[in-house]
This record gives sequence, C-alpha cells and structure tokens, in this order.
Amino acid sequence: MTAQPSGKTGSPFRIGRYYSYMLLVPGLVISAIFLVLPLAIMTVVSFYTTAPSSTGFLPIFTVENYFDFFTSPQTGTLLLNTFSLAFIASIICFAFGFPLAYFLTFHIKSRTLKNYVITLLIVPFLIDWSIRTVAWIPILGKGGIVNFALMSLGLIKGPLEVLLFSRNTLYLIWLQTYVVFMEFPIYLAMNRIDPDLINAARVLKAPPRRVLYDIVFKLSLPGIMAGFIFVFVSTLGDFITPNLWAGGVQTLGLSISRYSNNFLWPYASVLSTMLLVIAIIIMYIAFKVVNIKKLFYE
Amino acid sequence: MKPQEVGIRVYVAALILLVYLPIVVMIVLSFNTSGRISFPMEGFTTKWYNGIPTGYEYASYISAFYDWKFWIAFQNTVYVATAGAIMTMIIVTTVAMALRHRVVGRDPLFYLILLGFVLPGVALGLGNNMLFRIMNWEFAWWTAAMLDTVYAVPFGLILMMARFDPDLVLYERAASVLKASPLSVFRKVTLPLIRWEVVSAGIFGFVLAWGELIRTSFVMRGTGVISTYIATELAINPITPKWYAVGAIVTGISIVALIILGWVLSRGQR
Repeated sequence: MTAQPSGKTGSPFRIGRYYSYMLLVPGLVISAIFLVLPLAIMTVVSFYTTAPSSTGFLPIFTVENYFDFFTSPQTGTLLLNTFSLAFIASIICFAFGFPLAYFLTFHIKSRTLKNYVITLLIVPFLIDWSIRTVAWIPILGKGGIVNFALMSLGLIKGPLEVLLFSRNTLYLIWLQTYVVFMEFPIYLAMNRIDPDLINAARVLKAPPRRVLYDIVFKLSLPGIMAGFIFVFVSTLGDFITPNLWAGGVQTLGLSISRYSNNFLWPYASVLSTMLLVIAIIIMYIAFKVVNIKKLFYE
Repeated sequence: MKPQEVGIRVYVAALILLVYLPIVVMIVLSFNTSGRISFPMEGFTTKWYNGIPTGYEYASYISAFYDWKFWIAFQNTVYVATAGAIMTMIIVTTVAMALRHRVVGRDPLFYLILLGFVLPGVALGLGNNMLFRIMNWEFAWWTAAMLDTVYAVPFGLILMMARFDPDLVLYERAASVLKASPLSVFRKVTLPLIRWEVVSAGIFGFVLAWGELIRTSFVMRGTGVISTYIATELAINPITPKWYAVGAIVTGISIVALIILGWVLSRGQR
C-alpha cells in the first residue's frame, strides 16, 4: 500500500481517527450483546450439570457433558455427516456459482442487465423458507413431475421415494438456496480484476484455460473463499432442511435443536460449542491459505 | 458465438431454471382444486386464496386471505425486516467507515463482525435463546431483528467495502485539509458517494431478515414471523395448496417490492 502521510497532513487525520473509534460503537454494542454474550453463556452452560430445574441446568461445574460427547459411539457419524454434507454442498454451489459470476462479470456488458440478473437471483430468497423447500414436493415427490415422467416413459414401475428423501435432495435445495452466497462474493472479486490483464494475456496468445486459471481463478480466490465459507457455514447451521428432507441422516444441528427443545441445554451447548470450534478451525485454515481481507481492505 | 459462450449461457440458464422451477410449480399448484399437491392438476380454483372459511377448519384449509394469523405474521415480518434493514445500514456504514482507517485492533474487530455470519445459525439461535431466558427478556419482534442484524452485517460489510472507490479517501482528505469537520465531510462528501452501497446493504439486511428461519426460530414466540409461523404450522398440519397460495402471495409482494427497489437503484446509477 501507499505510504502513510507524514507530519504535515497528520493533524486532520488524527481527528478522523478519533471519530473512527466513535463509529465503531454501534457495531460493537450489538456484537457484544447478541453475539459475544450468547456465545459466552453457551460455553459456560456446556460445563454445567443437567438437572430438572426451570432452566434445565444447575450451575455446578462438570466435564461429564464433554466426556459423554467424546465417548458416544454416535459422535463420529454425526460429525462426519454434518461436515461432509456441508463440504459437498459448498463444492456444488461453487460449481454453479463460479460460472455464474464469470458470466455476470465478463459476458454481460450492460449494467442495468447485471442488476436485473442479480435481482432475479435474490428473489428466491424472499420466498418463505419452508415453502421454498416444500415446493420441491410436486417435483420430486411420489406424485411429482419427475416420477410422473419416469413412469410414463416406462423406466420405473412404482414412484421413487429416494427422489425426495435423500442427501441428493438436500444438495439440490441447498444449491437453490445458497448459490447466491457463493456467486456474489466471487462476482465482487472478479469485478476487481483489471480487464487489461486478461486482454494482455490473450494478446500474448495465452490459451483460454490458462487465462481462466491463472488470472480469473487465482485473482478471485478471496471471493471464492468467502463464498465457500458462507455456504459451508450456512449449511452447517441449517437443521431444518435436513430434518425435513435428509431421509433420516443425523446431523449436529438436528441434535442441537432436539436437545434444546427438550431443555437439555448443557448437551445442546456442548454440541454447539463443538460445532463452533470446528467451524472456526476450518475457517482459520482457510484464512491462512487465502487472505480473505483482500476483498475488503489491504 | 463461440461454443464456450453458448455453453456458459446454457449453464446459467439451467441454474436459473433450477432456482425458479419450484416457484413456478408452487404458483401453478396453488390454483389446484384438489387438497393434495401432485400433478396432474384436477381443476382450477381460487379457493385457497379467497375461499370463505366456515370457522371450523384447520390452518391448512383456511384460505390465505382469511388466515388472520398469517397476516399478523406478515406484519411482524415487515417490522423485523425493516428494523433489520435500518440497523444493518447504520452499523455497516459506521463499521465500514471506521475499518478503512488503521484503527487499533482492526483485524480482531473485523473477525468479530465476520463471526456473526461464520457462527452456525443453530449455535447463535441457541445462545440467544439462553441469553433471553436467563435475562428474562421477552421474545418479541425486535429480538429477531437484532439477530438478523448480527447475521446481515458481515454481508453488508462485504458489499460495501468491496465496492469502495479507491479515491474516496483522497476526496475526504481534501475536504478535511480544507477544514471541514468530520461530520460535514461525511455528510457532504462521503455519503453522497457511497449512498448506493448504503442502500444495497439495507436491501441485503431486509432480504436476509425477511426469510430467516433458523436463528429466528429460537427467539420467536406465538405467531411470530412468516417463516416461523409456516414452519410451525407445517410441522403439525398436512401440506395443502393453501400453503402454496401463501407462498405465492409472499413471493408476489416481495417481487413487486424488489422491482420498485431495482428501478430506483438503476435510476440512481445512471
């Protein structure tokens, strides 16, 4: 980055800096009350004893909850399910989101048209969550379009149940929901690529594959990583879609909601804390690989 | 057109079809005579929209226009989304303004803000649920708005900071060298230059708050917002075209709102 202005311009800037701290107050207050405090409570409660009280726990310190979690035979499957689902969903969203962002950036010239396409992709977000998922029933369900078509073609005899209740359904619904989360950061990163760079490469007879990989892909990596994290975390924390459509696949999110519905707060907190810890570790590794801050400031 | 260009167009069209197919199906089937939702349709009716209820039906059979619980939820959703949008707009703008300067602890702060999104929804919901119970705060629409704000701010921040004009700092510096107070620099130089970013952060806040279910489901009671209302009803009631009618109404209203917004925005960009 450029060197900081020295001596002469220092004084008006110091005032600016003082105001910078003032500016952070609303953001910090909201984050402290609704983000940090709940997390702190969650972590503390995860060490409390489960008891049939009004809150579901007694403030007596114990590590038994964690012991139960690590020794339970289901834990391994639970973790594997949760993270493999989220990981594959992110890959699928990338496979669609990246070409979409590329198309928006390099193939559509008119700014108005760009706005319309983006709006078109945001619309499904405004449809109610549950209704967006149950809208797949007439397509994939027993009496749905796909089964109807397959049966009329004589390919299958009876309606297929797996169309609606399987991991694949989950990926489809997540793709529909979260592809925007992947597409948008990539689009923003691609917008920052200097078109002259691509032109120069083309003039110098670089094969299209190299242009795509060495310039477009590599320079949009911060956006890709941001999108990846967005989709990964959203699918990680989604327990409602797996509950409806995963065909009985158990995930961490599902267990958390079940425990909390039964007021088994310490257990729910243990699972949430583990979910958070693992998510942060993955995020940390991702940040080490790609400097995501490049999207925002240098 | 080159074959690659055709390829990418087909790919994008397929994706948009995938995103929109369920929506089209939903709207079509909301006019189905039969109470079951399957193809082929039995006949055309608008009873799921405006059928006059006898007063003895379950929620799944009360027509959408007469389902007063839905309209209360709708009203709550408008409150939540509007509050969420305004809060997101304010916080995103202030934080983005501050983070451009080399404030002490910029990186930890940035990660803290980002945590609002990185934190899995179920964990944030659970934590806030416990917080509200322990503090004895009431669950109301503003609690949902707060959670949605925490969730939407990182998004808005990305939107705003990734699109800042690199020369913005120079204009501001010029104004402040000419002895403009920080407030008037913001009002007369910065804000006019970033107002569309501010508005689009607000739109994102609105959109995210409008449909949020995972976090909201932990901090809403009673009828709640549209998402929690429908999720609760669908858990205990059969799925009938009534819900598709509800979905079509929500979709219709949001599309109209978005078109108006898009129109306003694209006018501003010209």
